Amino acid sequence: MKPDPVIIASGLKRVYPLGESQVVGLAGIDLAIDTGALVVLKGVSGSGKSTLLALLAGLDRPSAGRLVVAGRDLAGAGEADLTIFRREVVGMVFQNFNLLPTLTVLENVSIPALLAGRPRSETLRRADELLAWLGMTPRRHHFPAQLSGGEMQRTAIARALINDPPIILADEPTGNLDSANGAAVIELLADLNRRWQRTVIIATHSTIADPYATVRILLKDGAIVDGSWAD
Amino acid sequence: MGRLTAFLRLFHQFSLRHLVRHRGRAVTVLLGIGLGAAVFTSVRLSVDASLSSFGRSVDLLAGRADRVVVEVTGAVPETLVAPLRRHPAVSAAAPVMTTYVRPAGDEARSFLLVGIDPILDRPMRTWTAEKRDGKTVTAWQRLMATPATLVAGASLARDLGWRVGDRVPLEHAMGRQDFEVAGILADEQLGRAEAGRLAIVDLATFQELTGRFGFVERIDLILRPDVSTGDLEALAALMPPGVSLQTPGGAKATGTAMVRAYQINLSVLSFASLFVGMFLVYSLVALNAASRRPELAILRSLGATPRRIFALFIGEGAVFGILGWALAIPVSTVLVKFLLDGVSRTISTLFVRVEIDRLALSPLEIGASFVLTVGVAVAAAWQPAREAMKVAPKEVLTQSPVTAEDGPGARRLALGGFGCILAALPLARIPGLPGLPLPGYLATLLLFVGFALLSPWGLRRLGGWFADGGDVPFVLAVRYVRDSGTRTAVSVGALITAVALFTALVIMVHSFRRTVEVWVTQTLSGDLFVAPKMAEAINFQDLMTDADMQVVRSLETPATVVPHRRYNLEHQGVPYTLEAMPMIPFLRQGDFVWYQGPAEAIRPALREGKGVVVSEVFANRTGLTAGDRFEADLGRAVVKWPILGVIRDYRTQGGVVFADLDALLAVVPDAGWTGVRFYLPQDSAGVEHLRQELIARCGDRLDMVTGADLRQSILEVFDETFAVTTVLLLVALAVAALGITTTLTVLVLERTRQLNTLLAVGGSRRQIRRMIFTEAAFLVALGEAAGLVCGFLLSYLLIYVINRQSFGWTFIYRVDWAALGFSVPLIVATALAAAVPALRQVFRRPPATLLRER
Repeated sequence: MKPDPVIIASGLKRVYPLGESQVVGLAGIDLAIDTGALVVLKGVSGSGKSTLLALLAGLDRPSAGRLVVAGRDLAGAGEADLTIFRREVVGMVFQNFNLLPTLTVLENVSIPALLAGRPRSETLRRADELLAWLGMTPRRHHFPAQLSGGEMQRTAIARALINDPPIILADEPTGNLDSANGAAVIELLADLNRRWQRTVIIATHSTIADPYATVRILLKDGAIVDGSWAD
Repeated sequence: MGRLTAFLRLFHQFSLRHLVRHRGRAVTVLLGIGLGAAVFTSVRLSVDASLSSFGRSVDLLAGRADRVVVEVTGAVPETLVAPLRRHPAVSAAAPVMTTYVRPAGDEARSFLLVGIDPILDRPMRTWTAEKRDGKTVTAWQRLMATPATLVAGASLARDLGWRVGDRVPLEHAMGRQDFEVAGILADEQLGRAEAGRLAIVDLATFQELTGRFGFVERIDLILRPDVSTGDLEALAALMPPGVSLQTPGGAKATGTAMVRAYQINLSVLSFASLFVGMFLVYSLVALNAASRRPELAILRSLGATPRRIFALFIGEGAVFGILGWALAIPVSTVLVKFLLDGVSRTISTLFVRVEIDRLALSPLEIGASFVLTVGVAVAAAWQPAREAMKVAPKEVLTQSPVTAEDGPGARRLALGGFGCILAALPLARIPGLPGLPLPGYLATLLLFVGFALLSPWGLRRLGGWFADGGDVPFVLAVRYVRDSGTRTAVSVGALITAVALFTALVIMVHSFRRTVEVWVTQTLSGDLFVAPKMAEAINFQDLMTDADMQVVRSLETPATVVPHRRYNLEHQGVPYTLEAMPMIPFLRQGDFVWYQGPAEAIRPALREGKGVVVSEVFANRTGLTAGDRFEADLGRAVVKWPILGVIRDYRTQGGVVFADLDALLAVVPDAGWTGVRFYLPQDSAGVEHLRQELIARCGDRLDMVTGADLRQSILEVFDETFAVTTVLLLVALAVAALGITTTLTVLVLERTRQLNTLLAVGGSRRQIRRMIFTEAAFLVALGEAAGLVCGFLLSYLLIYVINRQSFGWTFIYRVDWAALGFSVPLIVATALAAAVPALRQVFRRPPATLLRER
């Protein structure tokens, strides 16, 4: 049986005012992503990948259209609803890792759970488990400045998983990594998708994630020009 | 020239455009430095206007005199005029007398009355007068020909509505007399002295009014052009004992010297706002130098020399200085109108009488303000500019993350800070020049710098203690503040400076007031004070008449009578008052505020006339203290007494020496009285009864003020004097609040990515705002705490060093816990309110930029 779509978008549009003119980020796309899919978003710079990712992450609001993620209507959501959405539904992985420099690895991983009000002891235990899984236990008390790029991205992945979200969004996760570390990170995300049935959406220029994709979406000028579904 | 043009073009493209792009921050810093410069400039202009008016007035009254003949008690024999006129060295000699009088019944509008010989005075001073029909007349002939006539200054006539021909009643110590207005002085030359608030009378009329027959206040001399030293020596030999030949600048120099300490203190206090503004400039230039590191690397890789990079950032500082100054000048012209009144009134009340004739923007003061403002701003930009010039061209390839330089290590700075604080203590013990407490000010500066240097270390320590406690926003805030480096600490330094200044001045003013309260209660004890009319205005130069003294001796109202005899004297150029009064009744009813020496042992000796006590000011200014010998030439006799002890006294026109009246009368039997104070039995109604009896028996020849009113008026003058100080303090605090605003805004803006990351991983806007607020609270808490400690240390410096070096006095140390308890939370609230603009900036850029910025 085909699973229910976890993401449904119709006529999704995002337009940015720029002086007296406008820049179209997304030109009104229709999309349905099933639970457990591994989606690879592709396109050149300015094609709309990041805009779509920002909308899916609840970091931005659409200018028009409908967007429902994990049963939550993001187009009409208030600020408080979006905060709860970000805590419970999505985990983000960034190209620049975006770790907080004043916190250790363990503290960086724990922070989303603590912000969500989860008990500290439970959070630390879960963070330790994730770090162990990612092979980061020896580095748990190190600060970001003391880590390699691969270690920083593994920390960021652990942070994305701490609240156990059903959807992982990764924005160019290999962009700042060498090929070996990049491959390892993609393998990790694919593992998350395969073993733990997380829906994973990866926005990337490279072809490194293509072999793992269940869905490939090619964006151009804010529109989907090719959407192919792998079997 | 070509290189300069190229630099200016680069400066415009690289620096000015950046400042315009981030104009919000630039404008805040400009406001800070501009406000500081405006306060400094307007205070200087106010004091300068007062002193200029005083100086002009003295010069106009001195006229063309080359020398003046004066006597220690202000009584030069009139008979000296004729021999002086005949002397071969003298071209002209003119006697002059001055006093203050007032229109009858109008106590608030006293003015200067100048008595001259209209004929002898012609070569000395120039003045013209007009009649009602506008024709210039020889008013001096009218003055000579008609007794009780006067020529009034234009401002005076305008204020009082006098016209030529009017009959006007005037009051003086010797009573009341009607005068006819013979003319109105033209608004030029002598007519401009005292801002036109003066009147001229014939010498004979003057003597008639004041009762000073046979004496004049001074004789002005114009010497012949070819006068030799031998001639001058022969001239000096003509002078009888007590009379001397002096240069005419003496009065001006004495007056200016008296005001100098006040001027310096007010200038330093107003400089505090500019000093706090300096932190703002540093903060923003340092941010620009740090955040534009990649751009600097690009410039360097394209061929810019380190020196050029340095010049760009120094230029930024200079731009803030120049624009801040340009902003300050129009603000100063408005502010000075508010300050001028308070400043000139304070100078008039405490030091020398000034009448402001015009407010000119002194080019010297404006120039000084420019140099100081630009200098301060450039000095603030120096260290960031040095950091900027160290950026290496290779950084263009490394794409290192944009982080602010932490600058020198916190521990190293802290060591320097402790060093400064420790160095302040011995420095404060070095004696300063008279009226110029340079070591005190340097010690103050070291304290400020020391505490500011401690703040990065303080933030680290404070952050370390709290880094693991509390919820996520709290921990994040504390960690950030702990690791944020010197730039955050700069704002804390600004707040420390402002809070310290506030605390120290609150303590100093409170200690001063409490001590003055004790002083007025003990030394100025008494229920009724009586003196000849206008005695206060003319510094007790006139004696009570024998008739009035007889009345006082035979009063029906039961009262203890304590008469006094004051002499205005000088000891090696230091002006002071010798005041003799019967010590037995005085010490029974009142007391001195003892400073040095065993009071219990001194009182009996003082009662028996075995010596004198001197004020702390006298002791500090002359170096004469307990155990030394006091000696004074009173004109007709020389008194020599041992100094028994030192007391506190807060009259502002120099020191005071108190002696027993009987001891004085033993040397000068006909010394007379300059005033009397009365102590009444426990019956407040008796004061009015005594007043009525004095009025009934002496008429209106005496000025009377009740003890309660006198003490109240002194405290009112005190409060008024410090009103200007309060304004300056509030400005310094406002500038410090602007510093907090700038720092927090900058911290928020440069952390947009981090804050948006927090939002992306589930942080709510409320949590992030709370985090920023906690950061503000930490900065403010440290600034307040360190500021309080610095303020307490500074209060010691102000009371025991700067006041002593400036005015010669110290106070009994008292902390105004109530005022501090009320105002410190208020400052905390204000500083926290300064965080609001930063909170608004938190979400100025949408969180989605996280995904667009790579």
